Amino acid sequence: MKSLFTIREGGAANWTLRVITMVAIVGLMLYIPTKWEAGTLNTAIEGLTYMSAAMALNLVLGYTGQISIGHSAFLGIGAYTTGIMVSRWGFSPWVTFPVAFGIAFVIGVLISFPAARIKGVYLALVTLALGLVFPQLATWKKLAWITGGGSGLPIACPATGVSRSCEGTEVPTTGFNIGPKSKGQMQTFEIFGWNPFGDLRRPDNKAAFYYWIALVVAIIVYLACRGVVKSRVGRSLIAIRDNETAAAVMGVNLVRTKAFVFGLSAGLCALPGCVTAIKTGGVSPEGIINMTVRGAITFLIVMVIGGAGSLAGPVIGGALYVFVVDKTGTWADDDKIPGVLRPFFAWSEIPPGDGIFAVLLILLMFVAPRGIAGLWKQYIHRIVRVIPRPAGAIGATPAMATATATPTSNHEGEPQ
Amino acid sequence: MSMLRVVGLSAGYGPVSVLQGIDLEVGEGEFVVMLGANGAGKTTTMRAISGLISRQGLVEVAGDDITKWSPDHIVRAGVAQVPQGRGTFPELSVEDNMLAGAYVRHGGHDVRDDMHKWFEVFPRLGERRHQRAGSLSGGEQQMLAIARALMSRPKLLLCDEPSLGLAPLITQELFGVLERLNRDEGLSVLLVEQNANLAMHIASRVYLLETGNIVASGTSAELSADDSIRKAYLGF
Amino acid sequence: MDFSLLLQRVIDGISQGSVYALIALGLVIIYRGTGHLNFAQGEMALFATYCVYQFGEWGIPVWIALFMGMGVGFVVGAVSEVTLIRPISKKSPFAVFIVTLGLFTFLNWLDGAIWGNQQLPNSGVGSKQQSFPDLFPADPEDQFNFLGASIRYERIGILLLVLVITGLLFLLFNKTKFGLAMRAVASNTESAKLAGIRTNLVLMVSWGLAAAIGAVGGVVMGGLNNSVGLGLMFSIFIYGSAAATLGGFDSPGGAVVGGLAIGLIENLSSGYAQKWIGQELKLAVALAIIVAVLLVKPSGLFGTEKVERV
Ligand SMILES: Nc1ncnc2c1ncn2[C@@H]1O[C@H](COP(=O)(O)OP(=O)(O)O)[C@@H](O)[C@H]1O
Ligand SMILES: [Mg+2]
Repeated sequence: MKSLFTIREGGAANWTLRVITMVAIVGLMLYIPTKWEAGTLNTAIEGLTYMSAAMALNLVLGYTGQISIGHSAFLGIGAYTTGIMVSRWGFSPWVTFPVAFGIAFVIGVLISFPAARIKGVYLALVTLALGLVFPQLATWKKLAWITGGGSGLPIACPATGVSRSCEGTEVPTTGFNIGPKSKGQMQTFEIFGWNPFGDLRRPDNKAAFYYWIALVVAIIVYLACRGVVKSRVGRSLIAIRDNETAAAVMGVNLVRTKAFVFGLSAGLCALPGCVTAIKTGGVSPEGIINMTVRGAITFLIVMVIGGAGSLAGPVIGGALYVFVVDKTGTWADDDKIPGVLRPFFAWSEIPPGDGIFAVLLILLMFVAPRGIAGLWKQYIHRIVRVIPRPAGAIGATPAMATATATPTSNHEGEPQ
Repeated sequence: MSMLRVVGLSAGYGPVSVLQGIDLEVGEGEFVVMLGANGAGKTTTMRAISGLISRQGLVEVAGDDITKWSPDHIVRAGVAQVPQGRGTFPELSVEDNMLAGAYVRHGGHDVRDDMHKWFEVFPRLGERRHQRAGSLSGGEQQMLAIARALMSRPKLLLCDEPSLGLAPLITQELFGVLERLNRDEGLSVLLVEQNANLAMHIASRVYLLETGNIVASGTSAELSADDSIRKAYLGF
Repeated sequence: MDFSLLLQRVIDGISQGSVYALIALGLVIIYRGTGHLNFAQGEMALFATYCVYQFGEWGIPVWIALFMGMGVGFVVGAVSEVTLIRPISKKSPFAVFIVTLGLFTFLNWLDGAIWGNQQLPNSGVGSKQQSFPDLFPADPEDQFNFLGASIRYERIGILLLVLVITGLLFLLFNKTKFGLAMRAVASNTESAKLAGIRTNLVLMVSWGLAAAIGAVGGVVMGGLNNSVGLGLMFSIFIYGSAAATLGGFDSPGGAVVGGLAIGLIENLSSGYAQKWIGQELKLAVALAIIVAVLLVKPSGLFGTEKVERV
């Protein structure tokens, strides 16, 4: 295949491209909160949530090939951790992030052991069971003393003690207490005297603040996934996915690697849950649809459409998903459909978002099983070809040597 | 008119091409053996003839061009194959295996009569008729696979390494049955083997396949008379 | 212990379980033929169920509507197999799974797009029917006393219907030539082809049949709930797949036993452990049992051990 440009990895042109991409992405992220109002920012937060959850899911599904339809439960664990710690015990929400990660990590590791024994169809069903049971457990009467039962937990209440009801109190605007000792709601967020967001009781400012939290979480999840994928563990993961026996022969400890990755995936998936809890200002399966199986299915769709087994895939998928769902959300009302599209969608009683994604999902499985990211990788060669650094030149670590030993581990396992 | 005529047959799996255009023929009532080492493409030839994989070239059965036919049509045209390995339905009873073999035929009584006939030829199958095929021994399963193939009343029987994994005594018994079928019933047979020694005795003609090409053909006597072929391929 | 209460719960449980058995049967038929889990099984049934509601709106008697609904289900299943599943199964089992997931989402969306997202019938959107068509007498007084338990005709009717369907399926599998072909394909596809069986036709019919059976389950559920909504079949699908898992994914008999067992577990556990378990957790109990079964016997109670294809 001929390509228009050929550049060398690590060369000046390559670096220029990388810098341009980075600047574009960072610029967009900085631009979004300055210009947009609360409604759009909330959509962006949702997008970042899907990206984070799908990236976490991608670790198990994209890189180990284990199907999970239960990751919504981990998101729920994150949301409930934040909810319980903040509203029951008055912790700072910041503290809840690492705790949620830890709890979900441990649960993920525990689940990975039966998951490693159960294969294929059965694993899909067992994880589905997990996703189904979680909301039921969370709203179980016997656990109401801590989870708030069916009505869930408000976390926008002054955290003055255990299980104080919100009713009768004036509903505060930020839903965010900072520090266990603070009484009442946080009204500004200051860093060393700098107050970037202004009065947090204004919806736009609050949304911008939450946007930043969601963005930082998404970046952390991205970096964690990237770290894993590019590391020795990641190489072994890809080896496991492509050929379990060969991986075992290579000396990869299957059980331990899978357990670690499942745990990490679960832990990372809990983080967007914390964000959602804070943003929603309350925790219950009805309020946070993403902690039900519906959420798990959406994560799967987002991940597969973006591209399973690639780092950028979930990011692309998440962005596309919220963009389409947001743009078409009002289309149940025929007058809201843009003119040319009206004949195609006017008959539908509900917004077409799910239908569009279902069709896209099926189509992509036929033409591009590795999603949009896979398509991109396939066609970008036509325009720019990056010649990889010769193997063994710089930084040829033992991990890389292992990678080259597996025939299928190049190209992150692109379809043949 | 020959029973089977194959001209310039090529076939493979996706991008992998295995057969590079082979010619072969099985006359009516003839017993032909195809020899070749492991991986030479014998199974691929059989699968291509039966229409299980896509193929180019010409395949003719009793004068009909069947190259583009689907597997079930080819069976209806009178070609039955005993595939390599266990060509049975392990979860089904012996009787159901036989009935499945007669799937392309109509009429119940005929089919039952045939089944009893083959149970006489293979008495051990008759004794185990209600047992699951998967619970039979290797030799019995191979017999069942052959009996199942015969249930479609084929004119041409393709047999892919029936001796695989069987004790020599059982193999001899099996080949004896095939020979009798050929002699008494006029069944044309194309038998694939790795084990040259045994097969050469019953074959009227032999083809030698190597990496997807026919490298030699002739009667058993002709081939075993040729020293270089005997040393290189036949191993005796 | 109150015997009549126990009897009532057992009968309710069995009749509830019989619906799960229907979905499980469909899953098993497909799994045996292709080795795939049809994630869209419940949604195929739901589409057919909505159609039955629509036929009812047009004044078609419920039993005729049921058969027409089964026909719709059959077509949906068969067309999905031919146009989507068959071509994609050449790629990878994961691709098949994702496509059935896409079908699941698509069909659910399609139902909503056509019929809206409220429960139907609904006089607010102009439904003529008062409630979802019932296959059996289902008024409050349609019940009889048996050993002190009051048993609803509807429950008995459903149970009988499921038994009849199971019986017919049993005859189809074991006494007909096509059933033989289905079993042969399930056992060894390649040999089935070599026996002259049109495996493509068998698979197409299997998917159609599975969806048609599911449609019966959907109509029964609609009758029990008095309405059809977008979420009607999801939990039934879960229970159905749990039943199939429990019975072993390749055993039709196992599917029926599994379905009945889960119906019983569900009703008895939520009934007798009301204080402890209660309504919210009955699903969790059923699923926990299944996970336990899977860990001890990965191929289910009646399934045969074999190499996984997914
Ligand atoms: N399903 C398949 N996909 C790809 N290659 C195959 C497949 N089956 C066989 N082959 C290849 O085709 C060649 C011939 O195989 P085969 O016909 O089975 O040989 P034989 O029966 O003579 O031992 C071998 O190199 C084998 O690796
Ligand atoms: Mg062979």
